Amino acid sequence: MEAVYIDKNLELVKKCMQGSRAAQFELYKLYAKAMYNVALRILNYEEEAEDVLQEAFLDAFTRIVDFRQETTFGLWLKQIVINKSINYLRKRKMEFVGTEEISEVPDEDSFDDSDVQLQAEEIRQAITQLPDGYRVVLSLYLLEGYDHEEIAHILKISENTSRTQYMRAKKKLKSILEQKGMRDE
Amino acid sequence: MNNRLETFVKDNRKAFDIMEPSAGLWAKIEQKLDTKKKKKPIKLYLWMSAAAAIVVVFGLVWLYAGRLQNKDLEIADVSASYAKKEVHFAGLITEKRDSLAIFASANPELYKKFTADLKKLDENYERLKAELPTSPNQTFVVKAMVKNREIQLQLLKQQLLIINQVDDYKRVNQI
Repeated sequence: MEAVYIDKNLELVKKCMQGSRAAQFELYKLYAKAMYNVALRILNYEEEAEDVLQEAFLDAFTRIVDFRQETTFGLWLKQIVINKSINYLRKRKMEFVGTEEISEVPDEDSFDDSDVQLQAEEIRQAITQLPDGYRVVLSLYLLEGYDHEEIAHILKISENTSRTQYMRAKKKLKSILEQKGMRDE
Repeated sequence: MNNRLETFVKDNRKAFDIMEPSAGLWAKIEQKLDTKKKKKPIKLYLWMSAAAAIVVVFGLVWLYAGRLQNKDLEIADVSASYAKKEVHFAGLITEKRDSLAIFASANPELYKKFTADLKKLDENYERLKAELPTSPNQTFVVKAMVKNREIQLQLLKQQLLIINQVDDYKRVNQI
Protein backbone atom coordinates (compact mmCIF):
# COMPACT_ATOMS: atom_id res chain seq x y z
CA MET A 1 0.00 0.00 0.00
CA GLU A 2 2.85 2.33 0.85
CA ALA A 3 4.52 1.67 -2.50
CA VAL A 4 1.34 2.48 -4.41
CA TYR A 5 1.05 5.72 -2.46
CA ILE A 6 4.58 6.77 -3.35
CA ASP A 7 4.15 5.84 -7.02
CA LYS A 8 1.02 7.90 -7.27
CA ASN A 9 2.85 10.95 -5.95
CA LEU A 10 5.80 10.34 -8.23
CA GLU A 11 3.55 10.68 -11.26
CA LEU A 12 2.17 13.94 -9.91
CA VAL A 13 5.63 15.22 -9.08
CA LYS A 14 6.81 14.48 -12.61
CA LYS A 15 3.84 16.33 -14.06
CA CYS A 16 4.59 19.24 -11.73
CA MET A 17 8.13 19.35 -13.06
CA GLN A 18 6.62 19.87 -16.50
CA GLY A 19 4.57 22.69 -15.03
CA SER A 20 1.15 21.06 -14.92
CA ARG A 21 -1.24 23.23 -12.93
CA ALA A 22 -3.65 20.33 -12.46
CA ALA A 23 -0.90 18.22 -10.89
CA GLN A 24 0.07 21.10 -8.62
CA PHE A 25 -3.52 21.38 -7.45
CA GLU A 26 -3.65 17.62 -6.85
CA LEU A 27 -0.56 17.79 -4.64
CA TYR A 28 -2.01 20.80 -2.85
CA LYS A 29 -5.23 18.92 -2.12
CA LEU A 30 -3.25 15.93 -0.87
CA TYR A 31 -0.98 17.84 1.49
CA ALA A 32 -2.51 21.24 2.32
CA LYS A 33 -4.41 20.10 5.36
CA ALA A 34 -1.64 18.06 6.95
CA MET A 35 0.93 20.77 6.29
CA TYR A 36 -1.38 23.46 7.62
CA ASN A 37 -1.65 21.55 10.88
CA VAL A 38 2.12 21.13 11.06
CA ALA A 39 2.60 24.88 10.66
CA LEU A 40 -0.23 25.71 13.04
CA ARG A 41 1.18 23.51 15.80
CA ILE A 42 4.48 25.33 15.61
CA LEU A 43 3.13 28.85 15.18
CA ASN A 44 -0.16 28.73 17.08
CA TYR A 45 -1.56 31.47 14.84
CA GLU A 46 -3.84 30.63 11.96
CA GLU A 47 -2.87 33.63 9.87
CA GLU A 48 0.82 32.92 10.11
CA ALA A 49 0.25 29.25 9.42
CA GLU A 50 -1.56 30.15 6.21
CA ASP A 51 1.25 32.45 5.15
CA VAL A 52 3.74 29.68 5.76
CA LEU A 53 1.59 27.21 3.84
CA GLN A 54 1.35 29.53 0.86
CA GLU A 55 5.07 30.25 0.82
CA ALA A 56 5.94 26.60 1.26
CA PHE A 57 3.81 25.46 -1.68
CA LEU A 58 5.14 28.26 -3.88
CA ASP A 59 8.67 27.30 -2.92
CA ALA A 60 8.05 23.62 -3.50
CA PHE A 61 6.51 24.16 -6.94
CA THR A 62 9.20 26.52 -8.15
CA ARG A 63 11.99 24.38 -6.75
CA ILE A 64 10.49 21.05 -7.73
CA VAL A 65 13.15 20.56 -10.41
CA ASP A 66 15.67 20.32 -7.57
CA PHE A 67 13.65 17.61 -5.86
CA ARG A 68 15.46 14.31 -6.20
CA GLN A 69 13.59 11.24 -5.15
CA GLU A 70 15.72 10.64 -2.07
CA THR A 71 12.67 11.21 0.11
CA THR A 72 8.98 11.38 -0.65
CA PHE A 73 7.45 14.63 -1.80
CA GLY A 74 5.50 14.78 1.46
CA LEU A 75 8.60 14.64 3.65
CA TRP A 76 10.35 17.18 1.47
CA LEU A 77 7.39 19.56 1.67
CA LYS A 78 7.15 19.02 5.42
CA GLN A 79 10.77 20.06 5.81
CA ILE A 80 10.07 23.27 3.92
CA VAL A 81 6.98 23.95 6.04
CA ILE A 82 8.81 23.32 9.31
CA ASN A 83 11.80 25.45 8.36
CA LYS A 84 9.57 28.32 7.33
CA SER A 85 7.49 28.02 10.49
CA ILE A 86 10.58 28.04 12.68
CA ASN A 87 11.82 31.14 10.87
CA TYR A 88 8.50 32.89 11.50
CA LEU A 89 8.70 31.92 15.13
CA ARG A 90 12.27 33.16 15.43
CA LYS A 91 11.11 36.52 14.17
CA ARG A 92 8.92 36.57 17.24
CA LYS A 93 12.10 36.00 19.25
CA MET A 94 11.25 32.64 20.65
CA GLU A 95 13.57 31.24 23.28
CA PHE A 96 14.03 27.53 23.63
CA VAL A 97 14.29 27.85 27.37
CA GLY A 98 10.86 27.23 28.73
CA THR A 99 8.97 29.75 30.75
CA GLU A 100 7.11 28.43 33.76
CA GLU A 101 3.88 30.31 33.46
CA ILE A 102 0.88 28.71 31.91
CA SER A 103 -2.35 30.45 31.23
CA GLU A 104 -5.45 29.26 33.06
CA VAL A 105 -7.57 26.82 31.17
CA PRO A 106 -11.34 26.78 31.62
CA ASP A 107 -12.79 23.50 32.85
CA GLU A 108 -14.38 21.22 30.33
CA ASP A 109 -17.52 19.62 31.76
CA SER A 110 -18.55 17.54 28.74
CA PHE A 111 -15.40 15.45 29.00
CA ASP A 112 -15.73 11.74 28.23
CA ASP A 113 -12.73 9.45 28.73
CA SER A 114 -13.90 6.82 26.25
CA ASP A 115 -14.35 9.28 23.39
CA VAL A 116 -11.05 9.14 21.52
CA GLN A 117 -11.93 12.04 19.28
CA LEU A 118 -12.61 14.21 22.27
CA GLN A 119 -9.45 13.05 24.04
CA ALA A 120 -7.36 13.94 21.01
CA GLU A 121 -9.05 17.31 20.89
CA GLU A 122 -8.22 17.84 24.59
CA ILE A 123 -4.57 17.08 23.96
CA ARG A 124 -4.50 19.23 20.86
CA GLN A 125 -5.99 22.12 22.78
CA ALA A 126 -3.59 21.59 25.65
CA ILE A 127 -0.61 21.69 23.27
CA THR A 128 -1.67 25.13 22.11
CA GLN A 129 -1.46 26.26 25.73
CA LEU A 130 2.23 25.37 25.93
CA PRO A 131 4.90 28.08 25.68
CA ASP A 132 6.53 28.35 22.25
CA GLY A 133 9.74 26.46 23.06
CA TYR A 134 7.91 23.54 24.66
CA ARG A 135 5.23 23.41 22.02
CA VAL A 136 7.67 23.24 19.11
CA VAL A 137 9.83 20.47 20.54
CA LEU A 138 6.83 18.48 21.68
CA SER A 139 5.07 18.84 18.32
CA LEU A 140 8.13 17.85 16.32
CA TYR A 141 8.77 14.80 18.50
CA LEU A 142 5.29 13.62 19.34
CA LEU A 143 3.35 14.51 16.21
CA GLU A 144 5.77 15.01 13.32
CA GLY A 145 7.79 11.95 14.29
CA TYR A 146 11.28 13.46 14.35
CA ASP A 147 13.86 12.09 16.79
CA HIS A 148 15.92 14.29 19.08
CA GLU A 149 18.89 14.25 16.74
CA GLU A 150 16.75 15.62 13.92
CA ILE A 151 15.06 18.18 16.17
CA ALA A 152 18.47 19.36 17.37
CA HIS A 153 19.43 19.86 13.72
CA ILE A 154 16.20 21.67 12.80
CA LEU A 155 16.21 24.02 15.80
CA LYS A 156 20.01 24.36 16.01
CA ILE A 157 20.06 23.30 19.64
CA SER A 158 21.86 20.42 21.33
CA GLU A 159 20.33 16.97 21.41
CA ASN A 160 20.32 17.13 25.18
CA THR A 161 18.38 20.37 25.19
CA SER A 162 15.85 18.80 22.88
CA ARG A 163 15.46 15.87 25.26
CA THR A 164 15.04 17.92 28.41
CA GLN A 165 12.73 20.35 26.62
CA TYR A 166 10.58 17.45 25.56
CA MET A 167 10.43 15.98 29.08
CA ARG A 168 9.47 19.32 30.56
CA ALA A 169 6.94 19.96 27.82
CA LYS A 170 5.30 16.64 28.45
CA LYS A 171 5.13 17.30 32.17
CA LYS A 172 3.53 20.64 31.53
CA LEU A 173 1.10 19.15 29.07
CA LYS A 174 0.01 16.62 31.63
CA SER A 175 -0.55 19.25 34.26
CA ILE A 176 -2.69 21.21 31.80
CA LEU A 177 -4.70 18.09 31.04
CA GLU A 178 -5.12 17.34 34.73
CA GLN A 179 -6.37 20.82 35.31
CA LYS A 180 -8.87 20.13 32.61
CA GLY A 181 -9.89 16.96 34.35
CA MET A 182 -8.31 14.22 32.30
CA ARG A 183 -7.27 11.31 34.50
CA ASP A 184 -3.74 10.28 33.88
CA GLU A 185 -3.15 6.76 35.19
CA MET B 1 2.73 5.11 32.58
CA ASN B 2 5.15 7.45 30.93
CA ASN B 3 4.53 6.34 27.35
CA ARG B 4 0.78 6.61 27.50
CA LEU B 5 0.74 9.93 25.69
CA GLU B 6 3.09 8.76 22.93
CA THR B 7 1.07 5.62 22.31
CA PHE B 8 -2.20 7.50 22.29
CA VAL B 9 -0.91 10.07 19.78
CA LYS B 10 0.56 7.36 17.58
CA ASP B 11 -2.70 5.43 17.55
CA ASN B 12 -4.82 8.47 16.88
CA ARG B 13 -2.47 10.54 14.76
CA LYS B 14 -5.18 11.58 12.31
CA ALA B 15 -7.32 13.08 15.03
CA PHE B 16 -4.69 15.77 15.50
CA ASP B 17 -4.80 17.09 11.95
CA ILE B 18 -8.26 18.56 12.11
CA MET B 19 -7.73 22.20 11.32
CA GLU B 20 -8.39 23.34 7.77
CA PRO B 21 -6.70 26.15 5.85
CA SER B 22 -9.07 28.69 4.35
CA ALA B 23 -10.69 27.74 1.07
CA GLY B 24 -9.29 30.68 -0.84
CA LEU B 25 -5.67 29.79 -0.21
CA TRP B 26 -5.17 27.82 -3.41
CA ALA B 27 -6.41 30.74 -5.47
CA LYS B 28 -3.74 32.92 -3.83
CA ILE B 29 -1.04 30.35 -4.54
CA GLU B 30 -2.23 29.94 -8.12
CA GLN B 31 -2.13 33.69 -8.65
CA LYS B 32 1.43 33.89 -7.34
CA LEU B 33 2.43 30.95 -9.52
CA ASP B 34 1.04 32.78 -12.55
CA THR B 35 3.03 35.93 -11.87
CA LYS B 36 6.17 33.85 -11.38
CA LYS B 37 5.54 32.02 -14.63
CA LYS B 38 5.16 35.27 -16.52
CA LYS B 39 8.55 36.41 -15.28
CA LYS B 40 10.32 33.30 -16.45
CA PRO B 41 9.84 33.54 -20.24
CA ILE B 42 11.09 37.14 -20.17
CA LYS B 43 14.20 35.99 -18.37
CA LEU B 44 14.68 33.12 -20.79
CA TYR B 45 14.16 35.49 -23.72
CA LEU B 46 16.80 37.84 -22.32
CA TRP B 47 19.28 35.04 -21.85
CA MET B 48 18.67 33.74 -25.34
CA SER B 49 19.14 37.14 -26.94
CA ALA B 50 22.32 37.66 -24.95
CA ALA B 51 23.59 34.29 -26.14
CA ALA B 52 22.66 35.15 -29.73
CA ALA B 53 24.48 38.48 -29.48
CA ILE B 54 27.61 36.74 -28.25
CA VAL B 55 27.43 34.26 -31.11
CA VAL B 56 27.06 37.08 -33.63
CA VAL B 57 30.01 39.03 -32.17
CA PHE B 58 32.22 35.96 -32.20
CA GLY B 59 31.18 35.20 -35.75
CA LEU B 60 32.07 38.70 -36.91
CA VAL B 61 35.43 38.65 -35.11
CA TRP B 62 36.19 35.26 -36.64
CA LEU B 63 35.27 36.44 -40.12
CA TYR B 64 37.30 39.64 -39.76
CA ALA B 65 40.34 37.79 -38.40
CA GLY B 66 40.00 35.20 -41.15
CA ARG B 67 39.97 37.90 -43.80
CA LEU B 68 42.96 39.62 -42.24
CA GLN B 69 44.88 36.36 -42.29
CA ASN B 70 43.99 35.64 -45.90
CA LYS B 71 45.11 39.11 -46.95
CA ASP B 72 48.54 38.75 -45.41
CA LEU B 73 49.02 35.21 -46.54
CA GLU B 74 50.48 35.88 -49.97
CA ILE B 75 54.13 36.57 -50.61
CA ALA B 76 53.12 39.09 -53.26
CA ASP B 77 51.74 41.38 -50.57
CA VAL B 78 55.15 41.60 -48.94
CA SER B 79 57.42 41.71 -51.96
CA ALA B 80 56.55 41.55 -55.67
CA SER B 81 60.03 40.48 -56.76
CA TYR B 82 60.13 37.60 -54.32
CA ALA B 83 56.70 36.56 -55.43
CA LYS B 84 57.91 36.35 -59.02
CA LYS B 85 60.85 34.20 -57.95
CA GLU B 86 58.58 31.99 -55.89
CA VAL B 87 56.19 31.42 -58.78
CA HIS B 88 59.14 30.64 -61.04
CA PHE B 89 60.55 28.09 -58.61
CA ALA B 90 57.17 26.54 -57.92
CA GLY B 91 56.66 25.96 -61.65
CA LEU B 92 60.04 24.30 -62.03
CA ILE B 93 59.45 22.18 -58.90
CA THR B 94 56.23 20.78 -60.31
CA GLU B 95 57.97 20.02 -63.56
CA LYS B 96 60.86 18.17 -61.87
CA ARG B 97 58.50 16.32 -59.60
CA ASP B 98 56.60 15.04 -62.60
CA SER B 99 59.86 13.88 -64.18
CA LEU B 100 60.85 12.15 -60.98
CA ALA B 101 57.48 10.40 -60.83
CA ILE B 102 58.22 8.70 -64.16
CA PHE B 103 61.06 6.76 -62.50
CA ALA B 104 58.91 5.87 -59.51
CA SER B 105 57.65 2.51 -60.73
CA ALA B 106 61.17 1.36 -61.71
CA ASN B 107 62.81 2.46 -58.45
CA PRO B 108 60.13 2.45 -55.79
CA GLU B 109 62.46 2.48 -52.78
CA LEU B 110 64.60 5.30 -54.01
CA TYR B 111 61.50 7.30 -54.94
CA LYS B 112 60.11 6.80 -51.48
CA LYS B 113 63.28 8.20 -49.90
CA PHE B 114 63.34 11.16 -52.26
CA THR B 115 59.74 12.11 -51.61
CA ALA B 116 60.34 11.85 -47.86
CA ASP B 117 63.16 14.40 -48.14
CA LEU B 118 60.98 16.67 -50.21
CA LYS B 119 58.15 16.29 -47.75
CA LYS B 120 60.33 17.62 -44.95
CA LEU B 121 61.16 20.72 -46.96
CA ASP B 122 57.52 21.15 -47.89
CA GLU B 123 56.49 20.99 -44.24
CA ASN B 124 59.05 23.62 -43.47
CA TYR B 125 57.60 25.81 -46.18
CA GLU B 126 54.07 25.42 -44.82
CA ARG B 127 55.28 26.40 -41.36
CA LEU B 128 56.84 29.57 -42.73
CA LYS B 129 53.66 30.33 -44.63
CA ALA B 130 51.62 30.01 -41.42
CA GLU B 131 54.04 32.29 -39.58
CA LEU B 132 53.96 34.96 -42.24
CA PRO B 133 50.77 36.86 -41.21
CA THR B 134 51.92 37.33 -37.61
CA SER B 135 55.63 37.69 -38.14
CA PRO B 136 57.18 41.04 -37.15
CA ASN B 137 59.72 40.76 -40.00
CA GLN B 138 57.72 39.58 -43.00
CA THR B 139 60.45 40.17 -45.58
CA PHE B 140 62.68 37.82 -43.64
CA VAL B 141 60.06 35.08 -43.68
CA VAL B 142 59.39 35.60 -47.38
CA LYS B 143 63.12 35.32 -48.07
CA ALA B 144 63.20 32.05 -46.14
CA MET B 145 60.20 30.78 -48.10
CA VAL B 146 61.82 31.53 -51.46
CA LYS B 147 65.08 30.02 -50.23
CA ASN B 148 63.14 26.91 -49.27
CA ARG B 149 61.72 26.66 -52.77
CA GLU B 150 65.21 27.08 -54.23
CA ILE B 151 66.58 24.27 -52.08
CA GLN B 152 63.66 22.06 -53.09
CA LEU B 153 64.48 22.70 -56.71
CA GLN B 154 68.18 21.93 -56.25
CA LEU B 155 67.36 18.78 -54.34
CA LEU B 156 65.01 17.66 -57.09
CA LYS B 157 67.70 18.30 -59.72
CA GLN B 158 70.18 16.13 -57.80
CA GLN B 159 67.58 13.45 -57.20
CA LEU B 160 66.79 13.34 -60.90
CA LEU B 161 70.47 13.04 -61.69
CA ILE B 162 70.90 10.12 -59.27
CA ILE B 163 67.77 8.34 -60.35
CA ASN B 164 68.80 8.73 -64.01
CA GLN B 165 72.20 7.18 -63.27
CA VAL B 166 70.65 4.30 -61.31
CA ASP B 167 68.20 3.70 -64.11
CA ASP B 168 70.94 3.68 -66.73
CA TYR B 169 73.02 1.29 -64.65
CA LYS B 170 70.06 -1.07 -64.28
CA ARG B 171 69.36 -1.05 -67.98
CA VAL B 172 72.99 -1.75 -68.86
CA ASN B 173 73.02 -4.67 -66.44
CA GLN B 174 69.82 -6.04 -67.94
CA ILE B 175 71.38 -6.22 -71.35
